[in-house]
Amino acid sequence: MDRRGFFRILSATSAGALAGGCGRNSEKLIPLLVPDHEIVPGEEQWHPAVCTECGAGCGTLVRVMEAVRTVERNGEQVRQPIAAVKKVEGNPLDPVSGGRLCARGQATVQALYHPDRLRGPMKRTGDRGQAQFAAITWDEALALASDAIAKARAVNPGGIVALTRPLLSNRSLALQRFMEALGAPPPVVCSIADLAVERKAAEMAFGWKGLPVYDLANANFALGVGADFLGGWASPVYYARQFGNFRQGRREVRGTLVQAESRLSITAASADRWLPLRPGSEPQFLAAVGRMLLDLRLARNPEHLPPAVLSAFQSADVRANLASCGLPENRVRDLVQALGESEAPLVLGGASIVQTNSLAAIVASHCVNLMLGNVGRKGGVLPPAGPPSAGFSGSPAHEAMKGARVVLLDAVNPAYTLPPASGVLDALSRAGMVIGLSGFVDDSSAFADLLLPAHHALESELAVVPAVSPQPAVSIGMPFVEPLYDTRAPETVFSGLARSLKLEYQPVTSKEVVEPFLSAGTSFEDAARQGGAWSGSSKSSQAKSGGQAIDFAAAAFDGDATYPMQFQPYLSLQFHDGRGSNLPWLQELPDPASSAIWGLPVEIDPATAKMLRVANGDIVRVQSPHGGIDAPAYIHPGAVPGVVSMAVGDGHAHYGRFASGRGANPLSILAPVWEKSTGALALGATRVRLARVGSRRDWIQFSAPDREERDFGHR
Amino acid sequence: MEHRWGMAIDLDRCTGCEACVVACHAENNLPVSNPEQAAEGRTAHWIRVDRYYQGEFPDVKVKYMPVLCQQCDNAPCEPVCPVYATYHNPEGLNVQVYNRCVGTFYCANNCPYTVRYFNWFAPEWPEPLELQHNPDVAVRMGGVMEKCTFCIQRIKRAKEDAAQEKRPLADGEVQPACVQSCPAEAMVFGDLDDPQSKVSRLAANGRATRLLEELGTKPKVFYLERAK
Amino acid sequence: MASTPELLPYQRIREDLFRPLSGISRAYALTTAVAFVVGAAGLIAWGYQLRRGMGVTGLGRPVFWGFYIVDFVFWIGISHAGTLISAILRLTNAAWRKPVTRAAEAITVFALMIGGMFPIIHLGRAWLFYWLLPYPNSRLLWPNFRSPLLWDLTAIVTYMTGSVIYLYLPLIPDMAQLAEHNTPWRRKFYRALSLGWTGSDRQWHALERAMKLMACLILAVAVSVHTVVAWDFAMALAPMWHSTIFGPYFVAGAIFSGIAALILVMAALRKVLRLESYLTRRHFDNLARLLLLMSLLWLYFTVSENLTVWYGNDPKEMAVFGARTRAHYAPYFWTMVVLNFVIPFVVLGIRRLRTIANTAIAAGCVVVGMWLERFVIVVPTLANPRLASASGSYAPTWVEGAITAATFAAMVMLYMIFSKLFPIIAVWEFKPHEQEDE
Ligand SMILES: Nc1nc2c(c(=O)[nH]1)N[C@H]1C(S)=C(S)[C@@H](COP(=O)(O)OP(=O)(O)OC[C@H]3O[C@@H](n4cnc5c(=O)[nH]c(N)nc54)[C@H](O)[C@@H]3O)O[C@H]1N2
Ligand SMILES: Nc1nc2c(c(=O)[nH]1)N[C@H]1C(S)=C(S)[C@@H](COP(=O)(O)OP(=O)(O)OC[C@H]3O[C@@H](n4cnc5c(=O)[nH]c(N)nc54)[C@H](O)[C@@H]3O)O[C@H]1N2
Ligand code: SF4
Ligand code: SF4
Ligand code: SF4
Ligand code: SF4
Ligand code: SF4
Ligand SMILES: [Mo]
Repeated sequence: MDRRGFFRILSATSAGALAGGCGRNSEKLIPLLVPDHEIVPGEEQWHPAVCTECGAGCGTLVRVMEAVRTVERNGEQVRQPIAAVKKVEGNPLDPVSGGRLCARGQATVQALYHPDRLRGPMKRTGDRGQAQFAAITWDEALALASDAIAKARAVNPGGIVALTRPLLSNRSLALQRFMEALGAPPPVVCSIADLAVERKAAEMAFGWKGLPVYDLANANFALGVGADFLGGWASPVYYARQFGNFRQGRREVRGTLVQAESRLSITAASADRWLPLRPGSEPQFLAAVGRMLLDLRLARNPEHLPPAVLSAFQSADVRANLASCGLPENRVRDLVQALGESEAPLVLGGASIVQTNSLAAIVASHCVNLMLGNVGRKGGVLPPAGPPSAGFSGSPAHEAMKGARVVLLDAVNPAYTLPPASGVLDALSRAGMVIGLSGFVDDSSAFADLLLPAHHALESELAVVPAVSPQPAVSIGMPFVEPLYDTRAPETVFSGLARSLKLEYQPVTSKEVVEPFLSAGTSFEDAARQGGAWSGSSKSSQAKSGGQAIDFAAAAFDGDATYPMQFQPYLSLQFHDGRGSNLPWLQELPDPASSAIWGLPVEIDPATAKMLRVANGDIVRVQSPHGGIDAPAYIHPGAVPGVVSMAVGDGHAHYGRFASGRGANPLSILAPVWEKSTGALALGATRVRLARVGSRRDWIQFSAPDREERDFGHR
Repeated sequence: MEHRWGMAIDLDRCTGCEACVVACHAENNLPVSNPEQAAEGRTAHWIRVDRYYQGEFPDVKVKYMPVLCQQCDNAPCEPVCPVYATYHNPEGLNVQVYNRCVGTFYCANNCPYTVRYFNWFAPEWPEPLELQHNPDVAVRMGGVMEKCTFCIQRIKRAKEDAAQEKRPLADGEVQPACVQSCPAEAMVFGDLDDPQSKVSRLAANGRATRLLEELGTKPKVFYLERAK
Repeated sequence: MASTPELLPYQRIREDLFRPLSGISRAYALTTAVAFVVGAAGLIAWGYQLRRGMGVTGLGRPVFWGFYIVDFVFWIGISHAGTLISAILRLTNAAWRKPVTRAAEAITVFALMIGGMFPIIHLGRAWLFYWLLPYPNSRLLWPNFRSPLLWDLTAIVTYMTGSVIYLYLPLIPDMAQLAEHNTPWRRKFYRALSLGWTGSDRQWHALERAMKLMACLILAVAVSVHTVVAWDFAMALAPMWHSTIFGPYFVAGAIFSGIAALILVMAALRKVLRLESYLTRRHFDNLARLLLLMSLLWLYFTVSENLTVWYGNDPKEMAVFGARTRAHYAPYFWTMVVLNFVIPFVVLGIRRLRTIANTAIAAGCVVVGMWLERFVIVVPTLANPRLASASGSYAPTWVEGAITAATFAAMVMLYMIFSKLFPIIAVWEFKPHEQEDE
């Protein structure tokens, strides 16, 4: 960790001591000729916290200084100095972020000071979905909530459903315990980014609980299959750091990355070689790779493989498989050779775009790693560090909601992330009572009867267990700014409800979440002060192979021949699963594929575009058996022919002024097809057809040219 | 002069993730635009990640390249400014005095890298977004030009810290916001006059090139090309 | 070689030329009113721009210069009508120039007044324009003389001063005459302005010498002014701006558009003020030949500018060249070629067609064509900067349109007023006993 980070931690920890900042006698009184209303006295302070914008749970350092807030006090505008968050950076001590942060993590401060944040609890006044609410007091709100829950519980506790996000924290624990106390089923994870298939595969292949850790930084030759690990996958910051060092962090070796993916993701873009796969052909590809390794005698210890698996690979037909991937054999063979011959080979298998057969794909990737003998080794696949994380229940959210009497929405947006074809919308409108805990009125809280807005993460006490970490880790954030509005931490809401419901409920403290991670001699307070507990060594559970055979089945797709194209919505760099799209900084962040800002396009390959007579920016209709969306077309030079991709993030019915009504939601036309073993939504399982509907609407590209050399046709 | 600040950007590390872009927005109080203004090419991005496609499917490659003010030693934007609102400071930075700028646009036209951004209107932040403003950085008024400053406020702070502790500034102690944020650690900032500094060593690397070097602008940003 | 007007009796000439100064025709009133309204609209637009900010224009990144700079270069170009032409003709003693010179010199002064506004109008903080002036101030701040904009400022101010003097000198004898018997206030007005001119030999000699001297000076200044304007672009590193040919190219273009403007104005005056017997076919014919000559010269410059770029085939410059000739800006480019060369060449090249009306039409084409030329020079370069990813485009807004239109209205209005205060043709030059400096 760099000295600067060190000094900051000091200034943060001694924050209490240096009241008003007399600790650092050189302190900026007035910055260079800023206008008077901008004069901000006071010393900067850095506080550790946790990012909750995605499941990676990066540890952060937050810069706090005074700001002047104008508040309405009995009729007149009063200017009131408050401690305000200025910037969010990574916590250098945190093994996940290592002091760095992704775009979304840094933008979270705009969610904190978002003009459309909910100011306090509210009650529905209009119809469901209309998003008309009236402010009420917390007492009223809790009263309403508790007797709704009480009634439901009286009939059948099973009728109380909680949807939550894939983020393991004191908050998720509190929810779990609350549901337990109610005798209701455990919270159901409702997300397109919960990596359920990856977890399942790790368990099947290695008996690991949690996500495997890929030691990319120490690998020499890496083959990525279906895992956009630099984009919106398991832990973007962690793997970006790994990637940097993989490439240029070692004097003697420069890591080589080959990425096999059905999209030219930023991972594929950063790779030395991209192998464009047909959607859903990942298992076939890996089967072929395994078979080639065996044929080339480069499988170092095939005996590590369960015989069933081994024979599955041996019976794979390389040419046929690669043909189904859309790859010529000669393009692949030398790469497999290089992989096999590398001193530190690594296969990163994932399902950024879940298919019905993704489980087979990821299991296969693990098996190939077993062949290459890198499991549990430096530069290979490492077991998840630390105590096995209590897994998330997998029953699909829309199922869970059917016939629910009370639905608790904890930082999830099912109305947006689940396709209407799954019946999510009428599940929401039918439910006896819907309670939203989100800080914003989003697509789903629009259906809520009660809004119990939560604090922003930066206003809350949080202990988060990162999804991926090289060593046992928990990141801790203590509140250091006053809540801006009349919001409440869900934990307190749950205890409040438990009290009025007279439940056996033991409130969750972040302390108890942190305890198992504390190394001897360190207290919770020490951990909190540095922003987390990271015990050095990983208690590595040795891989014991699951042993069942893999069937390299082809992926199933919904839609007949009249829907000739395959459609793949993907988690975008800017908006992740759509939660980022209410932040202006992210709306203004050029899309890495199309350079679009303030709106996302559909990505179409040049041949298809020519056939449809579509030019950049023309509006096309993407029609599936389950619905259609209109969006501007981007003719993507790297799009796989016949495959239509679109980033997730646009098309919110409600989500504040910067997102509401902008663009279209690709998830809204998906077929209700699920990955069997996990119930994860199969993002890539829907077929569509395209039609040019529109006159050229001017979409906004930050930078129009795709090519560095401009021909005469340009502009 | 005490220092000569420069930056090295390793394109072999850069993933095009644009964390640096948001970092700059957050650090330097860049005004947020709206779709209408953005459509007119009026967003402010002191650093942008240029992306170019190369080759044809299936052998498509993508080139990501973060482009910020190159802090040219021989800056074409400077001589053309009629009021000295943009000038060279003793540490080789191309600095912008907002108070002094009258908005002729000439500097922007003469910047070969097109990294200068103009305040087309007086900037506005919907309440309470402005609470996030960095007090170390002036909020620019309408009608003036602005651009990357190499986070001069951070340089100043680091110097003060060092001065307080009566020690020389350590290499890597000054970190502009973009450099600080970069997850791939693709960016390195430091003193080009110190041969031992990381940035000096990277600038001497065989892969190091400078953007539009042929124009003789002597940029102080070095790009380490992607290894083949 | 005597021209028709010399054959008329001086009394008649006097009356003909002084008549327009008194009385206001409906046509006159109407034109002035319309011009005033359009001008006022322009002022309102500018006020709006000052209040809201430059965002009300179509400018953006990377096209930071648009209509305003185009108008600026255009009007400075027009200003070369007068001075240059009248100066050249004076120095070459072309006797036919007599009825032409003053109209031309007036154009110069007005075009400069208008063109000089644009560097201010296009400022992001126009109210601070005076910071560009080298005036002693408490902060000991001086403008940057390395900036071509400062050279511009200097050149234009000099040119303005020169042109005013140059217009003023030949007015003195006429104003002295006008001061003789006239309405009271006019008498005062002209007496004051004629600086006690009595017409003594000494005064005549002084005047002649002064005018000769000014003619030489103004020529030099005029050439330098448009060269400096060209350097605003040529000094920049931008593709297809950074060109050695720009100085002479712009000067030629300026004279070209200047002559065209002069022809238009003369045709108008001839009709409105009934000066058929003074502004004769012969004058138009001579100017038409000049215009034709300049058209060829312009073509020569345009070809050599673009041909060298095309042959050199530098990718950055070719991006601009392509945008100009084949892509987005091709319509403007080729229209410009037609208006500046094809039409004038045909209409003025064939003697039969070289009627006054046709000459005026050709001149009109050239004026528009030269405005387009400026547009084609300014915008495509900015829209296609060196780094492809920064490319952009430009579409002006009503504000820029209104302000541009207003400048033409301003020209008309100023001219109308001028023609009411001063004889548009130098009367004294026809005085028979006056020594022609043959
Ligand atoms: N772009 C631009 N640059 C300018 C100017 C401009 O208008 N525009 N103005 C110029 C002018 S006029 C001036 S005066 C300078 C001002 O430039 P500086 O002198 O840098 O003024 P500040 O940054 O306001 O204050 C300097 C530092 O003094 C520290 N300080 C404050 N109080 C104390 C104290 O009691 N003890 C100690 N030891 N330190 C203290 C603060 O931490 C602050 O960081 O800027 C000059 N630079
Ligand atoms: N909020 C705040 N107030 C401060 C300070 C601060 O840091 N912050 N610093 C204090 C200090 S140290 C100083 S020295 C004073 C300085 O205070 P001021 O003297 O006000 O300094 P500026 O605001 O930089 O300059 C004043 C005005 O001069 C204008 N100007 C620039 N060039 C020219 C020019 O050529 N001609 C004319 N006429 N005007 C021009 C600028 O646009 C600005 O609006 O401010 C003091 N007050
Ligand atoms: S990766 Fe996820 S947790 Fe880490 S900073 Fe980005 S959004 Fe936050
Ligand atoms: S943050 Fe780093 S890796 Fe990401 S785009 Fe910027 S320079 Fe590249
Ligand atoms: S990059 Fe552009 S703005 Fe920066 S110094 Fe060079 S010329 Fe000036
Ligand atoms: S815009 Fe401002 S900084 Fe740029 S040249 Fe004009 S006055 Fe100078
Ligand atoms: S150095 Fe600072 S100002 Fe420049 S781009 Fe990076 S963050 Fe922005
Ligand atoms: Mo000062």
